[in-house]
Amino acid sequence: MNTLNEIAADRNSTDVLTIGGTKLRSRFFLGTGRYPSPAVMLQALEASGAQVVTFAVRRVNLEEVEDDSILRHLTERKDLIYLPNTSGAGNADEAVRIARLARGAGLGHWVKVEISAHPYTLLPDPVETLRATERLANEGFVVLPYVSDDPILCKRLEEAGAAAVMPGGSPIGTGLGILNPYHLGLIAEEASVPVIVDAGLGSAADAAQAMELGADGILANTPVAKAQDPVAMARAMRLALEAGRLSRLAGRIPRKRYATASSEPEGRLFGVPASGGPFEAGARGEKAADDADAKGGAAHRPAAGPGGGEGFAAHAGGRSR
Amino acid sequence: MRSLNDCKLYVITGENYHKGRDLLEVMEAAIRGGADIVQLRDKDAAGPELLEKARALRELTRRLGALFIVNDHPEIALAAEADGVHLGQEDLPIEAARALVGPDRLIGISTHSIGQARAAERAGADYIGVGPVYPTGTKPGRPAVGTGYVAEAAEEIRIPFFAIGGIHPGNAEEVLAAGARRLCAVSAVVGSPDPAAVCRELRALIERAQLSAPLPRTGGGRLAKTVVVNGRAETTDADTLQELAASFRFGEKLVVAERNGEVVPRADWTSTPVGEGDRIEFVHFVGGG
Repeated sequence: MNTLNEIAADRNSTDVLTIGGTKLRSRFFLGTGRYPSPAVMLQALEASGAQVVTFAVRRVNLEEVEDDSILRHLTERKDLIYLPNTSGAGNADEAVRIARLARGAGLGHWVKVEISAHPYTLLPDPVETLRATERLANEGFVVLPYVSDDPILCKRLEEAGAAAVMPGGSPIGTGLGILNPYHLGLIAEEASVPVIVDAGLGSAADAAQAMELGADGILANTPVAKAQDPVAMARAMRLALEAGRLSRLAGRIPRKRYATASSEPEGRLFGVPASGGPFEAGARGEKAADDADAKGGAAHRPAAGPGGGEGFAAHAGGRSR
Repeated sequence: MRSLNDCKLYVITGENYHKGRDLLEVMEAAIRGGADIVQLRDKDAAGPELLEKARALRELTRRLGALFIVNDHPEIALAAEADGVHLGQEDLPIEAARALVGPDRLIGISTHSIGQARAAERAGADYIGVGPVYPTGTKPGRPAVGTGYVAEAAEEIRIPFFAIGGIHPGNAEEVLAAGARRLCAVSAVVGSPDPAAVCRELRALIERAQLSAPLPRTGGGRLAKTVVVNGRAETTDADTLQELAASFRFGEKLVVAERNGEVVPRADWTSTPVGEGDRIEFVHFVGGG
C-alpha cells in the first residue's frame, strides 16, 4: 500500500505544470521583495522549492551605487526562471517599455504584466493589461498578466496570447485571501492556459484553497516575506500548495447540509433516535439533499459554486496542466 | 558697461590700413557694424599723441557701448580710463601690469602657443589672443600658428580667447570650425572701405557657428552636454553610453540601459553615442512580487 508521500510523488511525476513550453518542477512562484535580508530571502526560496522567481525593474540609484541588486544573490541558482514584473507601469506603453528593459538583462523573456490603476488597492487596469499582453505576446514574450478575478477578462487575455493568467485573490499585500472563490473557480474551470493565483494570499490555508479551487499554481511574496518566520512560512505554503493540489486531484466530497454516519446503521446495538421533532424533518432534508447532489444541484449550499462543491467532483483530475 | 564675456568681435586699430580716413570714423563704423571690443594699437605714436587718441576712442566706445583696450601702455590705459590693457609676450609681465592697472581693469595678452596660453591663464589674464592663425601684414615675420592652436585653446583654455591673425570673412568659418567663439580682425576691417559691412559679416559667421555648436566645453575639452539620466538632468562629457555608465560605477551589477525609449544591449554601449538632450535610463532588478 502506498504511503501518502508515495502517492504524492507519483502524482507529481505526472502532474507537471507547463508554461510557455517550459516544464516547471514547482507550482509555487515566489516573489523576492520585502524580506528582512537577502539571506532570509534565499533560505525562503530554498524552503519554498520555487523555480519561478519574480522581480521588479527599477532605476538604479545613481547616488548610492552600492545599493543591493537582488540578482547578485541568485546568480548561483542556474535553474531559476526569472519573471520580472512591470510594476510601476500605469499603462500598456509603460509596461511594454519595462518588459523590454527586463528582457535586455538577458535573463529570459518571461514577463508578469502588472499595471496598477489605483493608489490604495493597486488593482490592475484590465484594459491596459489586455493591451500590454497582446503587444508583448506579439513580441515573443511569455506573458503572465496579473489581473482581477474576472473570468471573462481571463478568457480575453488568453485569446490575446497570455501564456498563463494570474488572477488576484485580493489586493496585493493585503493577506485577505481569496475574496471571490466562485470567480476563481470559474476561471480555473474555463481557462485553457494555466491559472496562477497571484496577490492577496495570507497564509498556507489560502494557498491550499487556491489549489483546491483548481488553480495551477500560486504566486506569493508578502505572506512569506513578512511572516514572523519567512522560511517556515515558505515551507508551510509549499506544503499547503501540494496538499491543495493533491486534494483537488483526489476529488472532494460534495457538501451536504446534514450528517451522514460513517458506519452502516445495520447491526447497531441500540434503537433509532426518537422520531418527530427537528430530526424527523432533518431526515427528510438529508434525503432531499442527497437527491439534489445526485442531480448535480446544490439545494442546501448557499455559497457553493463551481469551485466550492460539486465542481470538484465533476472536474477533479479532469485537467492536468 | 559691456562684459568681456559677451564680446565676440574684437577690432584693433591700424591707421596705416586706412590712410586718408579718420581713425574715429573707421572705428565708429566698425563698432556700429558689430565690433564690441576695440583696441588702440599704435607703435609709432609717442606718449601725448597716443593719449589723445586713447581719450578720443574712450569717448567713442563709451558712447557706443564697446569695451576699450590700450595696447602695450598701462599708464595710457589708466590715463584714458580704458577698460584694460593688452600685452605682447615681450611686454610687461601680467603680474606687473596687474599691479599697475589694478584688479578691475582687463588684462589681455597675445599668445602663440598653448604653453603661453596656459601661462597667461595661470597668471590671471582676463583674455588672450590666439594667433596669428594666418600670416598677417600686421605682424610681419611672425609665423602663422594655424587653426591647430585654435583647436588646442578651444579644448583647454577657460578664459575668453580671440582668434587673431589674417582673419577675414573668407576664412573665418575655418577658424570657428576649429573651436573659436570669438574673433579679432584688423586689416580685414579697418582696411576695408566699408568696415561696418565686414564686421556685420564676421558677426554673422560667429553667431551662426554658435548656433550650430552652442555647447560649453568641460575641462577635458570634450563637449559637455546635458542629458536626463533616470529622470534627472546631468551634465556629462561622456561621448558614449559606456562612458556615461562608467561615470556611475555600476560595477558588477546587472544594469540595463535605455536611450530615448530604446533598450541598448550592453554590447552596444561603446558604440552608442550620448547626445545633448538624450533621455537615458539605467535600470536593474529589485525585489518584487
